[in-house]
Amino acid sequence: MAEPGLQRLALAILIAATAVSLIPTIYMIDISFRTANDSFAPVLIAAHPTIANYVVVLHSGHLARFFFNSVGVAAGSVAVTLFCATTLSFAIARLKIRFSRAILLLVLSALLLPLASLLIPITVLLRTLSLTNSWIGLIGPNAALGIPFATVIIKEAMTAVPDELEEAATLDGAASLTVLWRIVVPLIRPALIVVAIWEFLFSWNEFFLALVIMTHNATKTLPLAPLYYQGPYMTDPGKLFAILTLIAVVPMAVYALVQRWFVSGLMAGGVKG
Amino acid sequence: MSAAVQAGAPPRRTVRPRRGAVLGARRLEAALYVLPAAVLFGVFIAEPIAANLFSSMVEPHGRVGFANYAVALADPVFATAIRNSLLWVAVSLACEIAIGFALALLIELYLPRGRAVFRTLLFLPMVITPSVIALVFNTFYASDYGLLYGAFRAVGLADMFPSLLGAPATASLAIIAVNVWQWSGFFVLMYCVGLAAIDRELLDAAAIDGARGWRRVRHILWPLCGGTTISLVVLGTIQALQQFPLIYLMTEGGPADSSQTLATYIFQTGFVEGQMHYASAIAVVLFLLALALVAIEYRLAGGGFSLSGKGAGRG
Repeated sequence: MAEPGLQRLALAILIAATAVSLIPTIYMIDISFRTANDSFAPVLIAAHPTIANYVVVLHSGHLARFFFNSVGVAAGSVAVTLFCATTLSFAIARLKIRFSRAILLLVLSALLLPLASLLIPITVLLRTLSLTNSWIGLIGPNAALGIPFATVIIKEAMTAVPDELEEAATLDGAASLTVLWRIVVPLIRPALIVVAIWEFLFSWNEFFLALVIMTHNATKTLPLAPLYYQGPYMTDPGKLFAILTLIAVVPMAVYALVQRWFVSGLMAGGVKG
Repeated sequence: MSAAVQAGAPPRRTVRPRRGAVLGARRLEAALYVLPAAVLFGVFIAEPIAANLFSSMVEPHGRVGFANYAVALADPVFATAIRNSLLWVAVSLACEIAIGFALALLIELYLPRGRAVFRTLLFLPMVITPSVIALVFNTFYASDYGLLYGAFRAVGLADMFPSLLGAPATASLAIIAVNVWQWSGFFVLMYCVGLAAIDRELLDAAAIDGARGWRRVRHILWPLCGGTTISLVVLGTIQALQQFPLIYLMTEGGPADSSQTLATYIFQTGFVEGQMHYASAIAVVLFLLALALVAIEYRLAGGGFSLSGKGAGRG
């Protein structure tokens, strides 16, 4: 470990960097607690905090509906991604199917796809299938785009499971599905948690697809809410920022609760990407 | 179940014909495991790529050809969009890697305790919804009432306050700064994971050989994090290329199309102007640009794309 002088310097730099990194978030939260008179003050923290903005926005509009849609889309995306990536990884890592290298390469290459380049054809496809303004219309593409990253992580974790465990179970007459569910899945739980958190954050925050696919107010997800409320609350930033804070609080709270597993899952898997 | 059949078949003579059947059953079984991912992949990735390619070849009067690409080559906004997309990749990556690696070094090597606190707090911007961030920074950058204006006023420079989002020269960079703010914590975390995976004995041996301070960073730690770096470069490239909500909600590609990127221009031409085939051609260019950039980066790094944490990171 470095000498105490250097340690103190490092600590000072890190505190400064963290403060800078937190300022926009603190700023957002503070504006949400401002009175109408203070809301245009160019300061980080204004005097006279009030919860009036929250009282108003929680009693009006479509916010609850947007929230419900976001929960449905995120839960569906996480479930489908986990299921598909786990079964695919099992086939590649444990069943050692033919062409598994080619399949893995194909999956990896999908990591290189910018979503924007698929936006138009996916929209056309969903219109053809009458899946616009439906949760499935977002869950499908979200999961398809999440599977490559998920497969990389899950496959890596499965490769690390000792063959003997699986062979023992197979000799005992266990079906491959039983082996997967009873033996492999419990052993790779840290990797599954990393994937679930990542996919949740991705699908919860996804804006671009939702913008073009969810055109009805009844089907919109939370990331579209800022756009929706921007106009009506143009002259009343306190209320707009109360909505922004409510949207941001969900992923922040989820991350605060699960970050312990996220970081230890990354460390354990030695995943780098 | 296949193994159960094998185990329950004692006479040797019957093994050979059965093995064929067993293998067939195993293949079918394996195919079933691949099926769910394959269906999603086919429907939402492979089909769209193909459909996009075809769509980009449909010319205004229904003929097939490269007219849309020819139009793009002569379109000054398309040129701006390409330039800005490259600017996004270069500036975002340079800043994120520098900040990420430097802060990770401080956290992993110079902090006796409290590492988890900094890793977690620095990562926080990463989880906030980008459309929310866009509106927060619209206010942050605003003249007369934004926080940045407040900072300028506090040091007596209110008259010199620049309208960063309103000027073509600075609009893109001002949004890229927000992107860097959001993603740096992710780079910090990944470099922390990479540094923590380095063998302590290796570092001790290097210390005995006299590798200290800057030389240790430059010649030992940085190369040992090579696998992390190339993974982050690839990930960051794609992320920068597909960034949409920040630009759309902060400048809408303006002023005068000066902050348009390929991602926003696809939306502009396809969904606002309704020129789907032209937008498809731009999407194909974006797709090819992503592949080309990753190929170049991979070449520069001399291979070694490591997701296992044991590949280029150690060897």
